[in-house]
Amino acid sequence: MSTQTAPWIILFSPLAAAVLIFLIGRFSKTLSAGLAILSAATGCFLSWWLFRQTEVAPQLSLEWLNFGPELTITIGITLDHLSKVMLLVVTTISTLVFIYSTGYMRDEEGYTRFFAGLSLFLFSMLGIVLADNFVMMFIFWELVGVSSYILIGHYYSKDSAADAGKQAFIVNRIGDFGFMLGILLLWSATGTVAFSGLLSAIPGFEGAPVYLTVACVLVFMGTVGKSAQMPLHVWLPNSMEGPTPVSSLLHAATMVAAGVYMLARIFPILEVVPDAREIIAWVGGITCFCAALMATQQNDIKRILAYSTISQLGYMVLGIGVAPTSSEAMFHLFTHACFKCLLFLAAGSVMIAMHHETDMWHMGGLRKKTPVTMICFIAGMLALSGCPFTSGYFSKDLIIEWAVLKIPFLGWLAAAAAGLTAFYIFREFFVVFFGKARSEHAEHAHEQPVSMLVPMLILAVPALFAGLPMIQEHFFTLSHPDAHAVPHLLHPFLYAMFFGGAGLAALLYFKAEKDPVSIPLFANRLYIDDVYFWFVNKIQGGGSIVLSWADRWVVDLVIVQVPSKLTWACGFALRFLQIGSIQAYAFFFGAGVVGLLYIMLSK
Amino acid sequence: MIDPVFLEVSVVVLGIFLLMAEAFGLAKEKSTLAWWAIGGLAAVFIGTFFIGPNSNSFEVSGFYVVDGLSLFFKRFVLISTILVLVMSVDYLPIVQRLVPAERPGAGSGEFFILPVFTCAGLMWMVSATDFIMIFCALELVTISFYIQVAYLRRSMSSLEAGTKYLILGALSTGFLVYGITWFFGATGQTNLVAIREVLPLIPVANHPAILFGLALVLVALGFKIAAVPFQFWVPDVYQGAPTPVTAYLAVASKAAGFLVLIRVLEPFFTVPSFQNKLFLALVLLALLTLVFGNLAAIPQTNFKRLLGYSSIAHAGYLLMGLAAIGDAFAGGAVVFYLSGYLLMTFLAFLILVPVTKASGGDDIAHFNGLARRSPGLALAMLIAAASLAGVPFTVGFFGKFFIFEAAMNQGLYLLVLAGIVTVASGFYYYFKVIRAMYWQPAPEDAGPVAITKTSSVAIFILAMLILILGVYPQLLIGMLP
Repeated sequence: MSTQTAPWIILFSPLAAAVLIFLIGRFSKTLSAGLAILSAATGCFLSWWLFRQTEVAPQLSLEWLNFGPELTITIGITLDHLSKVMLLVVTTISTLVFIYSTGYMRDEEGYTRFFAGLSLFLFSMLGIVLADNFVMMFIFWELVGVSSYILIGHYYSKDSAADAGKQAFIVNRIGDFGFMLGILLLWSATGTVAFSGLLSAIPGFEGAPVYLTVACVLVFMGTVGKSAQMPLHVWLPNSMEGPTPVSSLLHAATMVAAGVYMLARIFPILEVVPDAREIIAWVGGITCFCAALMATQQNDIKRILAYSTISQLGYMVLGIGVAPTSSEAMFHLFTHACFKCLLFLAAGSVMIAMHHETDMWHMGGLRKKTPVTMICFIAGMLALSGCPFTSGYFSKDLIIEWAVLKIPFLGWLAAAAAGLTAFYIFREFFVVFFGKARSEHAEHAHEQPVSMLVPMLILAVPALFAGLPMIQEHFFTLSHPDAHAVPHLLHPFLYAMFFGGAGLAALLYFKAEKDPVSIPLFANRLYIDDVYFWFVNKIQGGGSIVLSWADRWVVDLVIVQVPSKLTWACGFALRFLQIGSIQAYAFFFGAGVVGLLYIMLSK
Repeated sequence: MIDPVFLEVSVVVLGIFLLMAEAFGLAKEKSTLAWWAIGGLAAVFIGTFFIGPNSNSFEVSGFYVVDGLSLFFKRFVLISTILVLVMSVDYLPIVQRLVPAERPGAGSGEFFILPVFTCAGLMWMVSATDFIMIFCALELVTISFYIQVAYLRRSMSSLEAGTKYLILGALSTGFLVYGITWFFGATGQTNLVAIREVLPLIPVANHPAILFGLALVLVALGFKIAAVPFQFWVPDVYQGAPTPVTAYLAVASKAAGFLVLIRVLEPFFTVPSFQNKLFLALVLLALLTLVFGNLAAIPQTNFKRLLGYSSIAHAGYLLMGLAAIGDAFAGGAVVFYLSGYLLMTFLAFLILVPVTKASGGDDIAHFNGLARRSPGLALAMLIAAASLAGVPFTVGFFGKFFIFEAAMNQGLYLLVLAGIVTVASGFYYYFKVIRAMYWQPAPEDAGPVAITKTSSVAIFILAMLILILGVYPQLLIGMLP
C-alpha cells in the first residue's frame, strides 16, 4: 500500500459497493449492508493509516478533459493535512452510522436501496474531500445533491418526504448556481481551476479587488446552499423526512460539512479578500443566532437538532470569517460531527422506541425505558451546549473569542446564541426523558439492539473528550488569541450562558406537561418559510400563469410550432428531390458538377 | 516484425482461401466461413501492432505509405469488417430466403467472402499516395460493393439499389479518372508527394486546369462520402442493400473516402490560390450537406433510410471539420468523429438486424414497444440514438464538440451556426426511434427479440465504449495518430 493508491481506494470503494449492492443486493439484506459497511470501514482504516503517514508521495492526477491550453480538467487527489483530517471525520462517522443503520432500518422498506444510496452518498462526499480542482469538486458537489435527494426522499411514496427531497435539491441548486459562477470567475481571473494553481495565482492577482470579492462571495453561495446558511437554510429541517441515519450523516460528516470544508480548502484565497470574509462572517453570525432562536420553540425532536445544526454551522462559517486560519472552523466541524451525529443517533433510537413518533410532547419519562440512549444523549447534549471541558466547549469558545476580537457585535451575538443552545437542547432533554409518559407508545418504549447502541457509545467518547488540548493537538494546530486582548467579561459570560440556559430550561420544562412558553415568532421560524411560501405561491405562481400563457402561445406556437412545421415542410419538400428515378439522380449529379466547377473556376 | 504490405496480401490470401473452401465444400455450415474470416481478420488486426520498417520497393516508388494515420485506419477498417461479418451471421436467414438456390444455403457463402476483398481494398485505399493506387483500390472496393448491394437477387429493392449504385458509381468513377488526367496533364505527375512539390511552381496560366481536375476529383470523392449534391444514391441504396452491407457502406467506405479526401486535398492547402477556392467549395458542400441531410431525415419513417440520411448529415459535420483543416486540432477531430461514428452506427445496425428478423421489417414502427419486449436491446438503441444525436456523456457529443471547436477557431461561424441548428433537428428524428421503443405499445403477439450471443457481446461492448468515451474521451485521443 502506498500513499498514492490509498486515497483512490478510499474514494472508489464506496462506489464499488454501491454498484455491487445495486446489482446483487436484492438477493440478501445482510450482503448489501455488509458491502456498504465493508467499504466504509476500509476507507476508515486507510484514512487512519494515511493520517499517521508523515511522508506523502506526490499524488496522481489523470487528465480527464483537455480543452487546449486554457482549460485542462483533471481528476486528481489532494492529500494534505486538511483533507486527511476530513477523511478521518467522514469515514469514521460514516462507518458508525452504517452499522447503526443495520439496526435502525431492520424493518424498513427499501433496505438494499438505502444502503446503495448511503454508499453513493459517501462516495460523493469523499470526492469533495479529495478533489484537487474546482471542477471535480463541483461534480461531486452535485453528486452529493443527487444522492441526498435519493436518501431524503427514501420514503418516496410519502408526499412530505418526496417534497422535502425536491426542496433540498432545488434550494441547493440556487446556491450551486452561484458556486458555479464563482468558479468560472476565478477561472477567468487566473486561467486555472486547480486548487494548487489558484492558491499560487491569487495572492499576486493584479485585477480589480472587487472582482475577487465578487468571485469569492459567489463561491460562498455554494456554502450557503449546502451548509444551510440563511437565507437558504429552509431545506435542512425538512430533510428530517429522510430516515434518521441519513439525517445523522447529512448533519454530521457529509453534505452540510462540505460547504465549510470547501471554504477551508480555499482559505488562502479568502485571506487576501477581507471584504468577502466579512460578508461570510456576518452570514455565519446571523445564522447561528437566528437558527438557535428558531430551535427554542420546535416540538419535533429531529427538527430541534436540525435548527441546532444550522446554528452550529453558523459558528463554523463565522469561524472562517474571523479566525486567522481555517483550523478553528475545522476544529468545530470535527467536534460537531461527533456530538451532532451522536445526538441524531440517540434521537433515532428514541424514535424507534416510540414507533416513529417524533413529537416530543408525546414522549416523556423515557429515562427509565431507554437509559443507555439517555446517557448517550447527555454526552452529546453537554458537548453541544458547551459544558466546560467537553469538546464543544473548546471549539465553540475559540470561535467566539476570535469573533469578539474581530467583529465585537457578532462575537457577543454568537455568545448569546450559546445560551440559547444550552436552553433548547436541555429543553428537549427534559421533555423527552423526564416527566410522565404522555402517550401509549411512551409507556411501552424499550431499549434498542446492540447494533444501534454500540456506535452511539463509541461516539460518546470523542463527543466528550475530543476537545481536550492533549487530544486535539494531534489533529489541529490552533491559534489562540492573546489572552489579554479578549475582554475579561467574555468567559464568565459564556459560563453564565451555559448555566443560565440549562437552568432556565430545567425551571420551565422539568416535568412540564405542555409547553409553558409560546413565542409564535420563533415557533414559526421567523416566518421565513412562510415568506418563501407566499413568494412561491403568489409571485411565482402569478408569474407562472403569465409564463404558461406565453409558453403556450408564444413559445409553443410561434417559436416552436412554426419553425418545426417549416422544417418539416422543407424536409418533406426535399423528399421530392428523391424521386427514385436514376435519370433524375444523374441529372442532379451533373448539375452538382457544373456548380462545383463554377465555384472552382470563377475568378 | 511484419512487413506492412503483408497485411493487405494476407487479407487477399484469406479471401482466396475462403473462396476455395466454399467451392470445395470445406465448410459444412456457411456461417463457418464467416467465423474463419473473422478469425483471419482478427489475426491481421493483431499483426498491425507488430509492423516493422518498410523495406521494399513498393514504398520507394511512392505508391504506398504506412504512417500513423494509415495504420489507425487499417485497424478501423478491420474492426468494421469484423463487425459486418458478425452482423452477417445474424442476417444469414434473410440472405438464404432472398437468394435463389438449388440446394438450401447455396449461393450464400460469398456473402461472407466479398467483405474480405472489400476490406483489402479499403486497407490499400488508406495507404495510397498515388492517384493510380487510389483509383485501383477504390475500384476494388466499389466493384465488390456492387455485388454485395445487389446480393439479394429475389428482392426487387436490393436489385434496384445495386443498379443505381452501379450506374451512379460508374458516373463518379468517370469523373475521377477524368480529373486525374487533368492533374497529370497540368503537373506531369500522378503522385501526391510529387504533386505537392511541383504545385507552387505551376505558372498561373495553368491554374484553371488544376482547379478543373480538383473539382472533378472532389465530385468523385464527394460521391463516396455522400456529400450533397452527390448523395442521391444514398437513401435508395442504403434501404435496398442487405443491412450488413449498408452498415459497411455507411462506416468503412465513408471513412476511407474521407481519409483519401484528406490526403488528396492536403497538397492544395499549401498553396494560397488553391486554398481559397477549395475552402469555399468545402464550406458550401458542408453547408448543403448539413442542411439537406438533417432536414430530409425529418419525415422519414423507415429506419434504414433514416440512417441513410443520418449518414449524409454526419458527412456534413465531417466536411465542416475538413473545411477547418487549417486548425491544428481539426484533423484529429475528424478522425475522432469517424471513430465515434463507427461505434454508434454499427451499434444501431447490430440492433436493427435482430429487430428486423423478429418484427418483419425495418420501419421505425417495427421498434414499437421494444423497451418492454427486450429492455437491454432498447437501452443499447437508446445509447446509439443519443450518441448519434450528440447527447452529452456519449462519444457523439465529443465528436461534434471537437469539430465545432476547430471550426470556431477557424472563424467558420456560419457553419457552426448551421451545425448547431441542424443538431437540434437531429434530436427530433433520432428520438423518433426512442419514442417508438419506450412510448408506443408493442404489437399483441410480439415477444422478446431473439439475438445471437456474438451480436449481444458486440452490442454490449459498443454501447459501453460509447459511454466510456463519452465520459473520458482522452482514452481515444491518446490513440489518435
